[in-house]
Amino acid sequence: MMHPKAAEADIALLLEGTFPYVSGGVSSWINQIIQAFPEYRFALVFLGSQRSDYSQFKYKLPANVVHFEEHFLYDGLAAQNLPHARPGNEATFEVLRGIVNTLREGSAGTEQTLQMLRAVTREMAPGGNFPLEDFLYSERSWELIRDTYREYCTDPSFVDYFWTVRIMFKPLWTLASVAQNLIPVRMLHSASTGYAGFLGAVLHDTRNIPFALSEHGIYTKERQIDLLKSEWIRDNRNVFQRDPTELSYFRQMWIRLFEWMGRYCYAAADPIIALYETNRLRQVQDGADPARTFNIPNGIQLARFAPMRDKRPAQVPPVLCLIGRVVPIKDVKTFIRAMRRVVNQMPQAEGWIAGPTDEDPSYARECENLVRSLGLENHVKFLGFQKVEDLMPKIGLIVLSSISEALPLVILEGYAAGVPTVSTDVGSCRQLIEGLGEEDRALGSSGSVVGIADPQALADAAIALLNDPAEWNRASQAAIARVERYYTDSMMFGSYRKVYQKALGGPATDEAR
Amino acid sequence: MAGIGFELRRMLRKNTLTGLLQAYAYAGVIGSGPWVFSIIGILLVGIFSASVVVPNFLVTQFQTSVTYLVACSLILTGFVQLAFTRFVSDRLFEKKRDLILPNLHGLLLGVIAVAALLGSLALFVVFPGERLLYRLLMLAGFCVMCGVWVLAILLSGMKRYQAITVLFGGAYALIVVASLLMRPWGLEGLLGGFVLGNFVLLAGMWVMVVRDFSPKGRLIAFDFAERKLLYPSLVLVGLLYNVAIWADKFMFWYFPPTSEPIIGGLRASLIYDLPVFLSYLSIIPGMAVFLVRIETDFVEYYDKFYDAVRSGGSLEYIESMRDEMVYAIQQGLGEIAKIQTLAVLVTFVAGPALLDALGISSLYLPLLHVQVVGAGLQVGLMAILNVFFYLDQRRIVLVLCVEMVVLNIVFTALTLHLGAAFYGYGFAGSMLVTLCTGMVLLTRQLNRLEYETFMLQ
Repeated sequence: MMHPKAAEADIALLLEGTFPYVSGGVSSWINQIIQAFPEYRFALVFLGSQRSDYSQFKYKLPANVVHFEEHFLYDGLAAQNLPHARPGNEATFEVLRGIVNTLREGSAGTEQTLQMLRAVTREMAPGGNFPLEDFLYSERSWELIRDTYREYCTDPSFVDYFWTVRIMFKPLWTLASVAQNLIPVRMLHSASTGYAGFLGAVLHDTRNIPFALSEHGIYTKERQIDLLKSEWIRDNRNVFQRDPTELSYFRQMWIRLFEWMGRYCYAAADPIIALYETNRLRQVQDGADPARTFNIPNGIQLARFAPMRDKRPAQVPPVLCLIGRVVPIKDVKTFIRAMRRVVNQMPQAEGWIAGPTDEDPSYARECENLVRSLGLENHVKFLGFQKVEDLMPKIGLIVLSSISEALPLVILEGYAAGVPTVSTDVGSCRQLIEGLGEEDRALGSSGSVVGIADPQALADAAIALLNDPAEWNRASQAAIARVERYYTDSMMFGSYRKVYQKALGGPATDEAR
Repeated sequence: MAGIGFELRRMLRKNTLTGLLQAYAYAGVIGSGPWVFSIIGILLVGIFSASVVVPNFLVTQFQTSVTYLVACSLILTGFVQLAFTRFVSDRLFEKKRDLILPNLHGLLLGVIAVAALLGSLALFVVFPGERLLYRLLMLAGFCVMCGVWVLAILLSGMKRYQAITVLFGGAYALIVVASLLMRPWGLEGLLGGFVLGNFVLLAGMWVMVVRDFSPKGRLIAFDFAERKLLYPSLVLVGLLYNVAIWADKFMFWYFPPTSEPIIGGLRASLIYDLPVFLSYLSIIPGMAVFLVRIETDFVEYYDKFYDAVRSGGSLEYIESMRDEMVYAIQQGLGEIAKIQTLAVLVTFVAGPALLDALGISSLYLPLLHVQVVGAGLQVGLMAILNVFFYLDQRRIVLVLCVEMVVLNIVFTALTLHLGAAFYGYGFAGSMLVTLCTGMVLLTRQLNRLEYETFMLQ
């Protein structure tokens, strides 16, 4: 596939594991943003895990994407040729040991630690004093890995510790070289912390250009969930060594890495944009400067969805629809279990799962098996990726069973089409369903909020709405009113226009804050 | 020599004195194997024939001819010895057994063709005036011996040590008997017996290999010559090692004051050769100890070390296995030193009588002493090279072999220049220095074993 290349661009979007390869809430938001600003030329930097994890674009690149590059962080972990022994730069490893010690003992302040991290990061760029070969092959690196294992690692397997360290840190060199080779841009915009945020911080520090961060979920938290579930992070403690309340040491290592990358990113980013208040508070708690943070909620294009309201049959369709990727974070299994209870009481009810199943095929298979074992083959359908325009008129409820969400666009899209939502109490969902401020609450509730992993409550809430047309209509009206007043795309674009104009030196105002 | 360890451990596990003796005897026979049989066989042929074959000079001609055959065939096949061993064990590891027999045939074809070519050339260059039958027997002997070494390599690659030893023993018994029967025909008779014995040996080993692999499909292949299946360093090491071992002997043969013409262009050094042969007999106990220590203790911890690395052992465990490996090497080298010291002492005591019996002036007794010391050092060096092969440090082995060749040539030249009192010190000195270099490199290597294992993979 030929990707657009350019000599320079206005805004570099730093995207980790999302648009344009993966569809989902964040991806469609990015798509929206790019298309809303045709006056800016975007350069896209996609960061993925391995080449083989991504097949093809799920989105067509908008015309104002003038440059696209992709980098895969976990490719090429094994050496191609037999490497040669090397001593490694003494000064650099002294600093590294210092970082390890301060992180462990908490003896230095965050700012001081960040200074040390920045110093090391600078040397990681091609031509610096800390080349990747030093990390991979040098004797000093070996001594550091050996000593930290002895000092801190509570998992017995040295080979797993060794490879965890390698896999964790090797991407940073890839990023350092990506940062050095990126075409000239006028500002940076990252859609997450993590590796993309780290890249943004490195670029900001080296090129001294503005760096805006928009966080949809809280990366550190989502990564933790992925990591807790991923089985490739091994736990080698035997039954006597294992304390079930204690996370495997390797998971802790990953979590700490992402926490520090988050801090590193927050220290460089300004503004730090959250989708909603709870997340903004969490960012502050994780180290973001409160003065740099504010909220820009997602918004949707009302005109696209409003016509769907009339296409719905007079009788509300008894269809519960989960729109989202079939991945563990969406907790699709809870939805399937809830469907059993719904179908028991409303035999005509159906549960649709509209979203790609290819991101986590084994989880998708587990979900399909669960459907079979609950005998729901005729009631629960996996539809794959669907156009919301086709979907909305045919469904009666949007269901979200996620264990983590930010500000899900599907809820807003449903609202715009007049479809109420039953959702777990995660992210901004309560705010979206029950309203945030006094005025917002007065609109009434546009669905129901239930606890996470509670299929019974989820089922009951859904049945209550679907079985009571009057109640459903009230919720539907509240939904329409709420989305029209608070969550339109024009409001969102306005806010981002201010962010971009301020960074790029247009007629900026401070109102965005 | 991997694989022998299993057998040895089985014997040692009995934990009885006989078990111990059995293990050491087994290791001694297998470790010293072929060349001890050759030396003893040739000496026996000489001793039995001395009274019958007249003139006596013919026996010397026979022994010299055979020595040249052995030396030249070892050096020529040195090119393929280690490389082909590696090829065989790699293919066995890949479970591609069916590739081995065709490649053996291909290699035999190549080696014998080259041997025939060089041998024919030598017939005209080295033996211009000799009788035709003698020249043809030498050519046949050279080609057959090259084939014998190739097959011996293959069989040791397949861990058939016992079979090799039995076949060599049988073949040299046959040589002694055949030579006795054919001695009325003089030099040609003795040489004919030798060629016959080796031909039987070659045929026997080949039959054994064929029975093992029950051939089907291709009969000849040259995969071993493919660049990606070939280790150039091993080709060089095999050659250099054999050159290094024989360099001082050749120098003594062709240095006029220490040698005399024997037959055609072949020369021998009576004062040097017999002490050398005798000294090689003295290393049998050293080889036994070397095999028992390296192939049982060292390999046991070597396996544990790499198992722990692969399957997630703790660093403490990995390091303690490394320490055990080091300890086994120390023990092995220490014991080789002890047992070879004993051999030296025996030589000091029995030396005069031995030289007397062989009719060599006791003036050359110091040479025998030095040779025994040198041979003992060579055992130590072989032990270290073997450890380096286990650690797959082919570059270091190559360096050591180069050092061995150069030093042996330089030191031997120096001793030849300095005079008779220094004969033998060249070889012993070169072994000593190379052994020390090897120990220094091994210490360094073992100290950074985990680093290299993890970081440089």
